[in-house]
Amino acid sequence: MQHSPSVNDKPSDNMPVNDKLDAVSFRTPDVVMHSQRLGAMHQTRISFVRSLLRKIDKESWALNVHLWDLDKNGFGQVIYRLQTPEHIYHLVVFCNQIADEERNDRVIAQKWDVTFALVYGEISDELLANLKANVPLQEAGRNSNMVMVLARANKSVRVFDHVVSALADGQQPDLEVLAQVGYILRTTAVYGNGKFGIFDFKPLDHSEDFNQSFRAQMCAVYLLREFSLDWVDYLAKQKGGDKAVSLHPEIKRYLGIGNATGLGMAPYLINHPCVVDQWLTAREGALQAVLVCDIEPDKVPQFTTLMNRAIQHFSEVVTINEPQIALNSTVVDELTSLENNLTAELEACTTWADFLQRNDHLSFESQEVIISCMMELYPKRVDAFGEQVNADESLSLPSGKVVQDLIDVLEARYQWAINIDFEAEDNIYWFWYRSEDKEEPRMGIRGQEHGDDKEFLLDIGRQANTLYLALQQANPQQLISEFILGQPKYRSIARRVWTMGHKQMGDIQINVLQKTALPMHLLRCKLSMFGATKFDPRSDRWVRVTLFQGAPLFHEIHSDEWLFPLLPKINELPTLPLTPTMED
Amino acid sequence: MIVSHNEIVTMVNKAFLGMQREVGEADLIASMVAELQMAGLNGIKHFNNASPFILSERDMPIDIVHQAEGEVSLDLHGSSLVCHLPVVMDYALEKMGNREHFRIYLKNCHNRWLAYSELVKLAAKGIACLAKWDNGSAPKHTVFTLDKRFVYPDIYYFNDAQDNYNTNDMVIELATFNFDSEQDIQGFDHKISTDELYATHQRAWRQGIYVDDEQWATLKKSAAAILVEDNETSSKGAGGV
Repeated sequence: MQHSPSVNDKPSDNMPVNDKLDAVSFRTPDVVMHSQRLGAMHQTRISFVRSLLRKIDKESWALNVHLWDLDKNGFGQVIYRLQTPEHIYHLVVFCNQIADEERNDRVIAQKWDVTFALVYGEISDELLANLKANVPLQEAGRNSNMVMVLARANKSVRVFDHVVSALADGQQPDLEVLAQVGYILRTTAVYGNGKFGIFDFKPLDHSEDFNQSFRAQMCAVYLLREFSLDWVDYLAKQKGGDKAVSLHPEIKRYLGIGNATGLGMAPYLINHPCVVDQWLTAREGALQAVLVCDIEPDKVPQFTTLMNRAIQHFSEVVTINEPQIALNSTVVDELTSLENNLTAELEACTTWADFLQRNDHLSFESQEVIISCMMELYPKRVDAFGEQVNADESLSLPSGKVVQDLIDVLEARYQWAINIDFEAEDNIYWFWYRSEDKEEPRMGIRGQEHGDDKEFLLDIGRQANTLYLALQQANPQQLISEFILGQPKYRSIARRVWTMGHKQMGDIQINVLQKTALPMHLLRCKLSMFGATKFDPRSDRWVRVTLFQGAPLFHEIHSDEWLFPLLPKINELPTLPLTPTMED
Repeated sequence: MIVSHNEIVTMVNKAFLGMQREVGEADLIASMVAELQMAGLNGIKHFNNASPFILSERDMPIDIVHQAEGEVSLDLHGSSLVCHLPVVMDYALEKMGNREHFRIYLKNCHNRWLAYSELVKLAAKGIACLAKWDNGSAPKHTVFTLDKRFVYPDIYYFNDAQDNYNTNDMVIELATFNFDSEQDIQGFDHKISTDELYATHQRAWRQGIYVDDEQWATLKKSAAAILVEDNETSSKGAGGV
């Protein structure tokens, strides 16, 4: 039998093309991949949550409650059945009673309010028993490889208790309380791709449903949001009986799923450079497809509406983090000022590129808001880029190239690394490592804390710098393969530099060892690609966000935009009866 | 037990990084082990066997002991093949250039089974491969043949040594044409065909990858070497919540 070599790349004629991509020359990798700019990104039309919902809408996926087996306190198990044109999946949720002191967002936690799994295919009794025995244990369990996503979540106790009490009393919850948080449940880890024995991502290549990066994880979180809303309605009914009301749909839409993300996300971005390049290249392709367009009068009202919504959104966002408060405040001030003169500003520009460049004096956060708003204006030009998020991750060296060729790549694309003095203490201040405690990623101060002998090698800048110095000592005309044969320790960084140096966006430009480097920028980049909103840093290494806040509910799903969610207008909300699904 | 591909890759990656070698690429070695395990050819056992060699070897380059038109001979000084094979293959392909055939003779190396995934990759480059080696223990001789149209090789096992070269050596031949391996495989005792390897691989993706419990436990122990002891100061290094 002949088995053809696999081809990772999709046919190029399926890709959206834009022959004017080079027309917007100011969006160079040095601009786009600057860590501070990545740390200011927001949700866009091609964020994963957005492309998922468009797919669900377009393909009319169906969701129903398959099993609702909770006691009067809301503990037990629930199963949702998801039907796509291609297959059947189930979200299996276990709700457990835990003590307040056991509720911890870090990976070192042992118990959670809710644990859940997205499972491929039907749920037999045997599989359900296996899931019940293992899913609540999370990393400590051993799950069937029918499990595609394994995850857990904790309650926002204040919001949860308040919502249930209010609904049980026949009242809608106080929006001020909801605005503080924006969700009922907060995930603390959402594992996919073969973690802890579950289904690998690779065989999903052939799945029309989940062949895109992180789509299965996003889907599991979206379904958990449905559960969280059904759950509070159910508990309100249990507590309040006939007096209870259902949470108003407007409030349901306003509540997303929280997510607490720590340092563990940062190594992903460093260790998967081709994926990150692909994400940012797709995003940039989408943006440039917009930037080359002339500013047509019929686009101005929608752009104005979105900018106004952004201003209100950032006025409403609550965070305890002082730097983020200042950043949000700057966004509001800058965009309000721009908005006051928007018509004239737009008239002064021919294309959207002119407009973006004219406003490049604004904070990165404000510029990124403008980018998100612009991308909403051209769904037909933008949306197809949302399908280009998978990457061939191989890093390789070329044949027939010499040392000087590699030096040229370093000088063209790694100035950010080769110019750093790695003898200076501040430039190698931090070391990264994994703790024995559930392998939690941590940072330590070099020379002061124990563990730098087991440093986690995320120092791409330092390695590129060292390679550059070594290459300068070699014969510039020596073949790269001969140079590496004599100095094999450089092969790893050499193939990364060569490969990423020839990608459109390349490596993220950050020295993670540097004293003032902020891992938060890396976290924000990935979370915004997911489609997170309401960035609420809890320290320089932890952030809480919401996913699907403002998104349509499953039964009303649509492909329209839901950028920058706003608090609903409380006075316009009538009370409604409970939905029939939860009454039994 | 059943594990996933990603688990093997992650675990081997950590285990290799924990050995703190300058030479050798953790991601490639992880892939070598995972691919061999998926083929049902005991990748993890071979890696566990390789670990003492990797731990004890010096981080030094390999030497070219002979070079002529269409061939190169390299001395690995008793090192594990896993740390050096990607470098060797880059060099050999470069030297092969537009030639139809190229021969690599590797002296004094260990863990030759782990060459599997690097050799399998050749098909995607339109290159056929014939690799063979003698071994001190059974099978005494192994032949690996890769047709350039196929993703998976045919593997032939022999109960007796065939070529009378050093049992720590390996011959890898590359060609732009498919090898006529009839003479090399004459008298083999057991064969695993490309079709069988394809089926095993596909089954592994669908049903998970079988791993011997003890071998997995050994690998996990190696992977834990990279972890840093927990204490109060260290706990704050995660940033807290």
